[in-house]
Amino acid sequence: MKGWRTLFPNAWYVAVREYRSRCRSRSFVIGTILLAAISFAATQIPVLIDISVSTSETRVAVVVQASDMPSDSLALFDATLNGQSTDPNAHKDFAISWLPGGDATAAQTDLERGKYDVLLIVDRDAASDLRFTLRTDSPRDGRPVQTITNALVSLEIEDRLSRSGTSTAALRAPFSLTVASVTGTSEQTNNLSSEISTGLLSTGLIVLIFMAIVTYGVWVAMSVAEEKGSRVMELMLNATTPLQMLTGKMLGNGGAGMTQYGLILVAVIVGLVAQGPIHKAVLGSDAGTQFGGLSPAVLAAFVVLFVLGFTLYSLLYAALGSLVSRQEDVQSATSPLMVLIMLGYFMSVFGLQAIDETWVKVASFVPFFSPYLMLARVSAGHVEPWEFGLAVLLLLAAIVVALFVAARIYSAGVLLYGQRVSLAQVLRAARVSR
Amino acid sequence: MSLLIDSVSKRFGDVQALDAISLQIEPGEVFGFLGANGAGKTTAMRIVLDILRPDSGTITWNGTLNTELPRETWGYLPEERGLYAKMTVLEQLVFFAKLHGVKPRAAERETREWLERFRIPEYADRRAEQLSKGNQQKIQFIAAILHDPLVLLMDEPFTGLDPVNAALLKEAFQEMKDRGKTLVFSTHQMETVEELCESIAILDRGRVVVGGSVRDVRRSTGRQMVRVAVQGDPEIAWLGTLDGVHVTRRGQDYVEAEVAPGHDPGSVLRAALSRGCEIRHFEMADPSLEQIFIERVGQIDMSERTLAPKAAHA
Repeated sequence: MKGWRTLFPNAWYVAVREYRSRCRSRSFVIGTILLAAISFAATQIPVLIDISVSTSETRVAVVVQASDMPSDSLALFDATLNGQSTDPNAHKDFAISWLPGGDATAAQTDLERGKYDVLLIVDRDAASDLRFTLRTDSPRDGRPVQTITNALVSLEIEDRLSRSGTSTAALRAPFSLTVASVTGTSEQTNNLSSEISTGLLSTGLIVLIFMAIVTYGVWVAMSVAEEKGSRVMELMLNATTPLQMLTGKMLGNGGAGMTQYGLILVAVIVGLVAQGPIHKAVLGSDAGTQFGGLSPAVLAAFVVLFVLGFTLYSLLYAALGSLVSRQEDVQSATSPLMVLIMLGYFMSVFGLQAIDETWVKVASFVPFFSPYLMLARVSAGHVEPWEFGLAVLLLLAAIVVALFVAARIYSAGVLLYGQRVSLAQVLRAARVSR
Repeated sequence: MSLLIDSVSKRFGDVQALDAISLQIEPGEVFGFLGANGAGKTTAMRIVLDILRPDSGTITWNGTLNTELPRETWGYLPEERGLYAKMTVLEQLVFFAKLHGVKPRAAERETREWLERFRIPEYADRRAEQLSKGNQQKIQFIAAILHDPLVLLMDEPFTGLDPVNAALLKEAFQEMKDRGKTLVFSTHQMETVEELCESIAILDRGRVVVGGSVRDVRRSTGRQMVRVAVQGDPEIAWLGTLDGVHVTRRGQDYVEAEVAPGHDPGSVLRAALSRGCEIRHFEMADPSLEQIFIERVGQIDMSERTLAPKAAHA
């Protein structure tokens, strides 16, 4: 095929034209803005959750009618309910109004008016033990009531000990606590949270590849069908070779797709970076952002598999796009490819649960599935360098084969006009076309 | 030194689109492809352009195979017109020129010059979809010639043009011819062919029925046409009785007759004089291309080219 020698600059001119017209189209501009906005909003979800948590505090009024309460009862009560934080700005689950010698009737009125969620009256019974009366509409087995009940146990014990003459300072002395695994090693071998974050990461990266292929691959098919439909194709056919057009379309539409992806990614990064400041501005406290498990090696593997996977699939999209003459028919013409893409995607979703199974290993070398499955294996860290290299080589070989096949189907397909072009027809035409 | 189409065949499924056609088109001449729809004109052009590959046969331009020639050798105006709807005229013309290897700056200069020549410089920054059909066609013609191709292949270039734009295009044809370009175009307008072409080929169902210079083609039947008008005798009844003479048309002003091959048309004049007629008009001519076309293409099979008889209703 003589096209190899003369691939550029024409493929480049086609790519630039495709890129410009794609990026200028209204659907691209609106789509990018919308997706970027949604992505930015999504990164703020943790902040929103924090905000909603921070506003849901339980207000507790404590009317203390009991005499001789231990002096640090309030501190103990607060610590048991809200935890021992040294940060004065930290969020507290319970707001405590400590009312020594307060009026129970007035407090009851405030409770009914909604000033408090819980009213606690503390007095002493005949045996001089502390007696607690809790009034609230929150559920009896709900977390706030349970927590308060636990705190009251501490108060009661401390009061009894203090009356029996034990120093409360000795009570507060720190004690030793070790959590060990079953076999007795001090550190647990399976770090649950890192396991979850790795799983999420691989799923996320696979979804990124999947979305790019599905969305931007269709762009390639659309642009082929569009040219065919508007009959510019005939002018183009004399000006370029099918290989130049294919390459240009792939580069142009792929580039436009990557631009959109890049802008969305920028929105996500800005959103993640802004999480801290926004959190601080709204809630007065900082919150860290974690990128767990994203190592440079995983990122590099992602980029390589992303580019190669997209190239392979968009070649096939271009070939299938050349079989129809109207953009409306693109969807149905490319549905066989969609099946293949979905198959790879679902294999990787199930494969993540069984990363060391033989079928996952085998499938991770098959060109159409390797962009997903090899990536899953790499991010799980269960892969040898030669395995990755082999998968990439096979993918490259598949791209070369696909390039020739696609160029043939394409050069035959673009001249066939009609409602329904059968594959047999195309193959017959492809045999004799240039 | 010519464009040589050598026994080229092409089959699409059950249809023999081209059946071993051979043609020689001389450099610098204007060549017309004539044929009914489906005769194979477009397929022939696509094969010359190496957009399609023939099943057998070769195309050479000045001795070089078309598969070895740079694409900028050819300028092509396809039958199905199309431009990038959302691109401006200037953008897409420069784009096409660049694809043919014209340097970007030269491409823009050439484009503006041609828009000027076609008296539409103000369209440079309009999007193609904002242009009328006729103007789009001019843009497409410019797209075909911007890279200064040696051979121009145009598929039905005059279809859909109003008389003013058609005249403009004919002028452009003349200019390209003056620049030494070879022009090949297909049409079914016989008058245009007689006006512009030096040579023609009539195609029918993938075969060249007749080809050569327009003069030779018109003489190919060996017949001659005579038109006679005689004072006081509009019917000229005796004309049809002459040996080898066959009346084809009785017009308002004259009678037209065919003189069979091997007979001297001058005998009609002599017969008139010997009858003492007062001759007002006498003309000898070759049959028109239209007559030849109908005769040549028609005699093979007319059934598909005429309306089927109306179904009889009880």
